[in-house]
Amino acid sequence: MSAITTPRVRRGTVRTGITLSRRAGMVFVLPALALFSIFIAYPLLTALSYSFFDWTGIVRGGFVGVENYVTLFTRLPYRDDLPNAFVHNLLLFVGAMVFQNTIGLGLATLLHRIGRFKRFFQTMYTLPYLVSPLVIGYLWSLMLSPLFGPVNAVLRGIGLGELAQPWLGNPQTAIWVVVVVTAWQWIGFPVLLYGAALGGIPQEIDEAASIDGASAWQRFRAITLPMLLPAIGTVSVLTFIGAMEAFPIPYALGGSQGNPAGATDVMSLLFYRTAFESGSSNAIGTSSAIATLLFLFIFGISMLITWFMRRTERKLF
Amino acid sequence: MTATITPDTSTDDSTDRGGTAPSRRAGRRATVGGVASSTFLWLYAAISIAPLLLMLSNSLRTTQDMAKQPLGLPLPPNFTSYGKAWITASFDTYFFNSIFVTVASVLLSTAVSLLAAYAFARTRSKLFTTLEGVFLSGLMLPVYLAILPLFFMLDAAGMISNLWGLILVYGALGIPFSTFVLASFFRQLPIELDEAARLDGAGPFTTFWRVHLPLVRPAIATVIVFRFVPVWNDFFYPLILIRDQSSYTLPVGITRFFGEYQTDWATLFAGLTLATIPLVVLFLLATKQIVSGLTAGMSK
Amino acid sequence: MRRRILTTTALLAGSALLLSACAPSAASGDGAEEGDQVTLKVWSWRTEDVEAYNTIFDVFEEQHPNITVEFEAFQNTEYNQILTTGLAGSDGPDVPMVRAYGQLQPNIEAGQLEPIDGKVDGLDEIAPSVIAGAKGKADGKTYAVPLATQTLQMFYNKAIFDEHGLEVPNTWDEFIEVNEKLLAAGVTPMALGAKDDWILPIFADIIGSARYGGSEFEEKVLAGETDFTDPDYVASLELVTQVQKYLTPDVVGVSYTDSQIQFTSGQAAQFPGGSFEIATFRNQAPDLEFGSYQVPLPDGAVLDAPVSPAYADGNFAVNTKSTHQDEAFELLNWLATPEFGQLVADELNQFSAIPGVEYEDEVMKEAWANYEDGQAPYLLLVDFRYGEPLGTAVLGAEVQKMFLGQTDAAAAAASLQAGISQWFTPGE
Repeated sequence: MSAITTPRVRRGTVRTGITLSRRAGMVFVLPALALFSIFIAYPLLTALSYSFFDWTGIVRGGFVGVENYVTLFTRLPYRDDLPNAFVHNLLLFVGAMVFQNTIGLGLATLLHRIGRFKRFFQTMYTLPYLVSPLVIGYLWSLMLSPLFGPVNAVLRGIGLGELAQPWLGNPQTAIWVVVVVTAWQWIGFPVLLYGAALGGIPQEIDEAASIDGASAWQRFRAITLPMLLPAIGTVSVLTFIGAMEAFPIPYALGGSQGNPAGATDVMSLLFYRTAFESGSSNAIGTSSAIATLLFLFIFGISMLITWFMRRTERKLF
Repeated sequence: MTATITPDTSTDDSTDRGGTAPSRRAGRRATVGGVASSTFLWLYAAISIAPLLLMLSNSLRTTQDMAKQPLGLPLPPNFTSYGKAWITASFDTYFFNSIFVTVASVLLSTAVSLLAAYAFARTRSKLFTTLEGVFLSGLMLPVYLAILPLFFMLDAAGMISNLWGLILVYGALGIPFSTFVLASFFRQLPIELDEAARLDGAGPFTTFWRVHLPLVRPAIATVIVFRFVPVWNDFFYPLILIRDQSSYTLPVGITRFFGEYQTDWATLFAGLTLATIPLVVLFLLATKQIVSGLTAGMSK
Repeated sequence: MRRRILTTTALLAGSALLLSACAPSAASGDGAEEGDQVTLKVWSWRTEDVEAYNTIFDVFEEQHPNITVEFEAFQNTEYNQILTTGLAGSDGPDVPMVRAYGQLQPNIEAGQLEPIDGKVDGLDEIAPSVIAGAKGKADGKTYAVPLATQTLQMFYNKAIFDEHGLEVPNTWDEFIEVNEKLLAAGVTPMALGAKDDWILPIFADIIGSARYGGSEFEEKVLAGETDFTDPDYVASLELVTQVQKYLTPDVVGVSYTDSQIQFTSGQAAQFPGGSFEIATFRNQAPDLEFGSYQVPLPDGAVLDAPVSPAYADGNFAVNTKSTHQDEAFELLNWLATPEFGQLVADELNQFSAIPGVEYEDEVMKEAWANYEDGQAPYLLLVDFRYGEPLGTAVLGAEVQKMFLGQTDAAAAAASLQAGISQWFTPGE
């Protein structure tokens, strides 16, 4: 297909203008920079430095180089738990992209077209997001209880009794429960974000295409989707970070050990266990190494996604 | 890849399909599609809300009743659990602390992020690109990692159990996300606006305040909502940084409550409902603002 | 983009070297002024006991008018983090409740707790296995006064047993028969929340401690004469699989709280659990008539009498940074008296670590009498939580896998041994 660049459509993104001098820019950035440096950069860098030391409880011992990292790959339980948890984080990301973001985009697009009940629907979809994730996780674990949970009761009630099962007790289903519950809670996020982005698309183009006889799907593919790319990029990066740092929902659904038998274990749980539950005196060293690895991975991949999205955008316009 | 449609190309598209009358076809499709899409919308709304309604309904039943019958209506409704939950957890104190901390920190992070995001969108030097990257990296910070250094720092400053300490931390934590979203919105604004404003003799701040700020209102609404919720729900930072029970925020109050009523489902559900209601009410009131902000953006 | 990553990496690496003086050092307290009114901060993870503790400390305050005790409780699951930062900061507790055995070591090694040998009277009276939970592994010093002993046994619902004409079993065959009858009658014989892994090593010990040999086995393992791949230990784990059919179907999906409700609502006849359940059951179902027994000896048991595995739970220590050391030790001394022990029994419904305490509650009396007849350590908690991976954590996950049919007793025992041998050297 042909790509036709119309300056009218994408004025801003193509030429990010320079209208601020360096000094004026600095003044604008300064308050944020100060706050960020003191409360994020400094503690973060300090925490990363912890991973290169040997610890006795909360007292720092000598510099040990990468020994804590070596521990992660050679010693139990880390050499088993780390890859296991990491794969689950990736599953969470893939699951979120598939369920949460496509359904979210679909809902946002449909909502964008309808007039009536729009705010009502937006509110409905966003409600789960408002509830604390810990509460959500807890709520679902009660609902999925094989003994007292209404989910299995409903399945039996509508004649789908054979589908009823110990959702959180079966390693095959447990991780998917985490994926689906997370997606269920977060769906309002893409709905609102895509909603805002759709609102930013000039209506005239869509109308013109409509008059020219383009079907809804054609218009979506040819106009809406490309113009949503920056928003999709944003949502993807945020989803990725969210999936990598997932904590409260897996914690509420599977406990800090990622029950059953590590089936719902994720990186943050591994960090949490190591830092606060292991009883190891070098807990800070080892857990900081986990967090550092996680951070570097998230950082690298997010950069990659951003770069990929920017390149696609540039190709398009 | 795909094409950006100008009137010319879309004409090509419709001629491709040959003889069919486009308007009639589109009309019928809209009805079928309309039914399908509104079914989908309603269905998903039900999926979204059902578990929350269940929480509400179960808070009005007794634990023994729930143990015997997982699904059941609260008939007659039993409000004793609410009394129990309200008295045990001093929800009023926690509630006001939460409001104060959340509002102040969201305002703080949104204000500083607006300024910074504007600078990122309207400058082009290595320095600012790097800074933006550094801010963005904050988004990837596994939050639990920084807690110990943060604790030592606030402890040294004598700011443990101080709500302002918490506000500053949350304010800073909001910067990566807020600048990320706001900068991308600022970038979408045409540069001609700045040029026009400059020709009128406006300085950088006036341009920002008069010209850009009104235009990114939907983005501001989005940022505020998406920062408000996690701050309101966060229990980790106050857990470590707040010692004094009179300074507890709602989520910390709830985690304590969890421990006490693990098997008393009715009271637990009542407590969870009580903790959720304020945010829902707040959101219902604010959706009007958010949506009008969004529509303002759309009509542009 | 690559440059940006490089810059960041350089920044990170650089800062690791620069920020080398950021962790605080332990400072010692500077002693309290005498005669003044002093407030002692006591921390605990027992949020459910706040009122009881306030009653208990009222007694102490009456006898020590110059000391006010401020009791604060934090959520159990978050307590470790709160304590870690609390003992490191300046606003921490004077007398923290600390964990026992291995979980206590990081605090001791970091020098956050005062040794109490010679400063607190009555420590000699406490049972060795209990005081062991308050000692430093490396230096052998005592750092805390133990609070409670938890015994592990099988609880049963008396009404259900009566209804089906069942008696407390005295032999393994009777035990199986009781369960078979309950199963046939459509009652879940045993409630177990296997979704929560921590309960599983407890379950394994309740069922199998006598089979593998309780404290005899403990001695041999610690001395290196045998390890967890020992046929007797494997056989004890096989019992877990053997009784699985008497647990709730899909037991791995059942959470611990679900299992509690199953028992208190009369849907299950028995509950393998710790003495800490007694207070919970009483609270949840005041009308529930229940008792407890020790699981009878299975075939081939090493021991010749059934046992209740037990462990010390909770200790009170003195924060090194406390500025009221004298008063803190005054409090600790009181915590080691039978008077406090009796209050623990009466107000908290716990077995006190201090000898010479009478139990009013019938269920507690029965469980305590059983324990005195046959004692064993809750092996994995008492001896195998001093390194990573924790013995309890490994076995918990392995038993889940056994229930799910993913592994068998021999392989589970081998995993346990593999995990523990990473840090445990016999004879040390």
